[in-house]
Amino acid sequence: MSETRESFAGLPEWAVVLWYVLIAVSVAVFLAGVFLLRRKYARGRSLAPFDRPGTRVLRAARIVLTHAWIRRRDTGAGLGHLAIFYGFLVLFAGTGILAFQDDFAEPVLGWDFFHGPFYLGYSLFLDVFGVALVAGLLVMAVKRGLQRPRRLDYARPDRDEDRRRYVAGDWAFLGFLFFLALTGFLLEGFRIAVDRPDFEAWAPFGWLLGNGFAGLGLDGAAADDARLVTWWVHGVVALGFVASIPYTKAVHMLAGPVNVAVRDERAGRRLPELPAGAKAADVGYGLVTDLSWQHLLSLDACTKCGKCHEACPANATGYPLSPRDLILDLREAAEGALGIRAAMGVGPLHDADATLVANPIRPETLWSCMQCMACVEICPVGIEHVPIIVELRRRLVDRGEMEPLLQTTLETIYDSGNSFGEPKRKRGRWAKDLPFEVKDIRKEPAEILWFVGDYASLDPRNLRATQGLARILREAGVDFGILYDAEQNAGCDVRRVGEEGLYQHLREQNVERISQCDFERILTSDPHSFHTLRNEYPEAGGEWEVVHHSQLLLELLETGKLTPAKRLGARVTYHDPCTLGRYNGVYEPPRQVLEAIGAELVEMPRNRDNSFCCGAGGGRIWMSELKAGDGPRPAEARIHEAVALGGLDYFVVCCPKDVTMYEDAIKTSGHQGAIELRELSELVLESLGLPPLVAAADEEEGEE
Amino acid sequence: MTVLVIAEHVRGQVRDVTFELVTAAGELGGPVTVAVIARDPAALDVNVAGVDEIVNVAVEAAEFESDVWQRAVEALVAERKPQVVLLGFTVNSMGYGPALAAKLGLGFAGDVHGLALEGEAVIATRSFYGSKVSAELEFPGAAGVVLLLRPTAWTPAEGPGSATVSAFAAPAGPSRARHLELVEAAAASDVDIAQADFLLSIGRGIGERENVELFEALAAKLGATLSVSRPIVDAGWMPSSRQVGQSGKTVKPKVYLAFGISGAVQHLAGMKGSGTIVAVNTDPEAAIFGVAHYGAVADLFDVAEELEKLL
Amino acid sequence: MRVVVCVKQVSQLGDEVEFTGDGCDVDPDYLDSALNEWDGFAAEEALQLRERLGGEVVVVTCGGEESEQALRRALAMGADRAIRVEGAGRDPLSVGRALAEVVRAESPDLVLCGVQSSDSVQAATGTVLAELCDLPRVAVVTKVDYDHEARKAVVDRELEGGLVDRVEVDTPAVLTIQTGINQPRYANLRAIKQAEQVEIDVRTAAGGAEAYRVRRMFVPSKGEGAQLLKGSPAEIAGQLLELVRERLK
Repeated sequence: MSETRESFAGLPEWAVVLWYVLIAVSVAVFLAGVFLLRRKYARGRSLAPFDRPGTRVLRAARIVLTHAWIRRRDTGAGLGHLAIFYGFLVLFAGTGILAFQDDFAEPVLGWDFFHGPFYLGYSLFLDVFGVALVAGLLVMAVKRGLQRPRRLDYARPDRDEDRRRYVAGDWAFLGFLFFLALTGFLLEGFRIAVDRPDFEAWAPFGWLLGNGFAGLGLDGAAADDARLVTWWVHGVVALGFVASIPYTKAVHMLAGPVNVAVRDERAGRRLPELPAGAKAADVGYGLVTDLSWQHLLSLDACTKCGKCHEACPANATGYPLSPRDLILDLREAAEGALGIRAAMGVGPLHDADATLVANPIRPETLWSCMQCMACVEICPVGIEHVPIIVELRRRLVDRGEMEPLLQTTLETIYDSGNSFGEPKRKRGRWAKDLPFEVKDIRKEPAEILWFVGDYASLDPRNLRATQGLARILREAGVDFGILYDAEQNAGCDVRRVGEEGLYQHLREQNVERISQCDFERILTSDPHSFHTLRNEYPEAGGEWEVVHHSQLLLELLETGKLTPAKRLGARVTYHDPCTLGRYNGVYEPPRQVLEAIGAELVEMPRNRDNSFCCGAGGGRIWMSELKAGDGPRPAEARIHEAVALGGLDYFVVCCPKDVTMYEDAIKTSGHQGAIELRELSELVLESLGLPPLVAAADEEEGEE
Repeated sequence: MTVLVIAEHVRGQVRDVTFELVTAAGELGGPVTVAVIARDPAALDVNVAGVDEIVNVAVEAAEFESDVWQRAVEALVAERKPQVVLLGFTVNSMGYGPALAAKLGLGFAGDVHGLALEGEAVIATRSFYGSKVSAELEFPGAAGVVLLLRPTAWTPAEGPGSATVSAFAAPAGPSRARHLELVEAAAASDVDIAQADFLLSIGRGIGERENVELFEALAAKLGATLSVSRPIVDAGWMPSSRQVGQSGKTVKPKVYLAFGISGAVQHLAGMKGSGTIVAVNTDPEAAIFGVAHYGAVADLFDVAEELEKLL
Repeated sequence: MRVVVCVKQVSQLGDEVEFTGDGCDVDPDYLDSALNEWDGFAAEEALQLRERLGGEVVVVTCGGEESEQALRRALAMGADRAIRVEGAGRDPLSVGRALAEVVRAESPDLVLCGVQSSDSVQAATGTVLAELCDLPRVAVVTKVDYDHEARKAVVDRELEGGLVDRVEVDTPAVLTIQTGINQPRYANLRAIKQAEQVEIDVRTAAGGAEAYRVRRMFVPSKGEGAQLLKGSPAEIAGQLLELVRERLK
């Protein structure tokens, strides 16, 4: 007899029929669940059909099969999950192969492949992956039960909530899978224990178990009886598991990969446009049915892994925001209003006509977000927390539901084109204090149009850096000009606050004015301006090459237009700004500039895509403090992180808001004297050996 | 050049601005007549040096009512035909002064802080564009002019006067906006900033509500009482009992420290008389530097922080 | 119920100034503009009255085309109709007269104006308007309690020194509204852009005598001004403390 095993061995005919009936029931329940889920998603807003389906599917397949996203920042859990994933897949496929053999290949095609070398390979493969599955599950159990990382703690930052249901669900899921694996191995062990044919050594673990049982006296008929019982238990539990997939945490197995395929690759980086003539009900997310179907789907992909919760700077410093809890709240609302629980009447229910803000989402949760993209960056299943928050904010802003300080700032930006309320004429005032004239690019052509930005033009603390950059450019012989009072706030943060109308207004005016100028490319010294000019202005007809000053400085150093007169020799650390780094992937140029001018760079523990936000983004710099408790603010926490590196001279930034936030933070965190702030341009200026400017204002005062 | 001054009073007390008007009237030459419109005008003493005539106008209203005052002044103007009618730039005057000019076809200007006479013509000086520029106004072709003068812009007349006193019967008529009662805005339990020797005052420049605590703490350490300018009260961050200014309290402490206050005219009116005024503001052009004795163009948070360290 | 709100697009001067050729006004290049702060409060008060009593809110301004921005803001906040009167002088008598024409034609139950405009600060237009329409008026109002049936309102008038005068006024009446009376709602840009589609009723003012004529405008000398404390914030703080301690003795 060749190497094989018999299916349904020892089962009477009625039992086999019953088995197939159970399969049908299981599949039916599964499909019903999928149908209900699909119906839930269909209640959401439809988007334009997604493009390039082929590319998307291939890309998603690569990401899912290599676990590229899951493995980030926690290799242990990543490999554990990889083992579970492939273990489960292979075992599931194994059953499928068997079914294919029994129900199709043999009866219909007369083809029996399930014997001989194939069988041996099959047995080995399944055993190995079965062990992998168990190992993976054990890794996860240890992480949850013993290691207990903070991100798996379900405590909410904004309210007390009993989440034992979640914890129970997690352990049930692990337990279910473990039980399946266990019964599968027991089943195999009992089967082999009956008569222990030699070839079954190809299933090493089963072989061990089988011999073990035989050694205990459990063989022959006794083992066979045990096998039958175990077979039913394993089978029914397996069918139960399959049926339950759409109704439990297991749904992420479907929703996750699908979301990876359909998500917006530029989520958060390029926010969705609001069509002209939009009515109040079209603006943003007010009701749960306003969510796009893709966002509704993504809510079910969440596995509560907590990576976003851990990465979020607001959460880390005591703000009432956890990206994870936001997604879970939305999921509960969607389920309670439109989903399976709503269909079954299982609470907590949510009224589909009730606004999501204030229940379950609190406004302060939304306003706490700094739009730093750390959550979106790290989510293993591609959930888009940031655009969802912006959409929720859009509805609040449209209804005027925001704090007075933010309202005043938005009104100020509309009235004076800048967030400081300074007269428009003051925009180019910083240039008047220079010993040379800065071209007015409205009147004369220049190679580079320097879009300076609000903070760099008008915030007193940033003038040194802005004037420094101007002097550097002049030294390098760069032909540049500025827009003077024609320049307005670029709108990046206005858009992220949710005032889409004001954003469109600013963008329209900026595009119009810039288009009238004669230049080759645009330089910005503010990553926020850089980001929106580069990625979002093309929508409104503004298509130009846009560079950040760190990129231009590198170019000038590399082409020899700038030659450092001396090497700085300072020990520095560099903070990656969110909008330059995570948003646009510009990590290396500032580092290369620092290297070229002879600074010794010591990396921040959280650097590049893991950089920790200063707290100013998303319009937070225009809002009052929402943080609870006495803990450090995000910028203070970051300075603590830097000072802990030891022996640093400078904390280097290349964003004007970072300048403002970190100058304050160095003082308020008690580290004044321990470290100094430098903007990148200031360091380059120093290395060029140019004398410092005497500020014109000081001169005037002296005369009085 | 006959000048008619309308006395300003509340709760049986004549307000300082009345005497400032007398001084201003004197600058215009000509006889100065002060009209006292009240339920019991004789009980209000406006007989100071510089007043030539006092006209008592008894009316039914217990306190100011715009129709009553306007009717009385209209009648007076019809009879006396003064070239200039002077009122204080006060809440009461805002209720009828401009109406008077409109009804009688007279010239008008409010918040006047300078007066000059060129021949028979009155030239009034006032500010525009948030006090950044001044302008000289003339009133060509007007039979007379109603001017509302800025309180504290003139020194109050003092010294015993020898004015003739007469009574004037105002015509009767409806009062369509009737005084019901006077209400103290502030809670009685709070601090009286007008009694403090040392005030630390904060304004719009402090940014957000959170920072009020910062300055409260600083004030406590300094031994100062915290006071505020109007925007802070409007925003609801402090009660109006803490407000310094025309619509708040007038204060004259030994030391007045102003942080982040630009110096709107109404605020200045409330603290100009302080012994030593020190202002800290990032805007070198802020009007408060005009009345301050000492100033610093600096970031108020930086200075506040440094002060804390020294205490 | 109909409420008319008078609004003004005011000019804001920075720290640089040049005058026009005739020396009687500031060169417009040096001016930015915005809705008068007081008028935002007045508009909000009107909208809240409409929310309570139904009816319409009509917003009026006096000025050239640029002043339509103030109207758009009010429309975006929720006003129903907008009217602009052009061709009038800029002093309170001229403006009041121009507005009075509109108000008389509208026969409103209440007229709300801001106490004053931030660029002119005469605090007169509302009262002039009331006189020319022969309406009762209360200036510097911090609370409005309007009884539409009884055709009366009980309002609080904010006197100097924190004192409040409670007044009962027969309506229709003109009330000039003080800051802090409410929290003006935000006019989002979507609404403002949509307001740009709304047709604004433009009328021309009949002429009349002006309240005054500007003869000369100039930058006032600052006088001695404050003695400036110099140095770093630490140094300034030190000098400040010394000064304070001395003066408190």
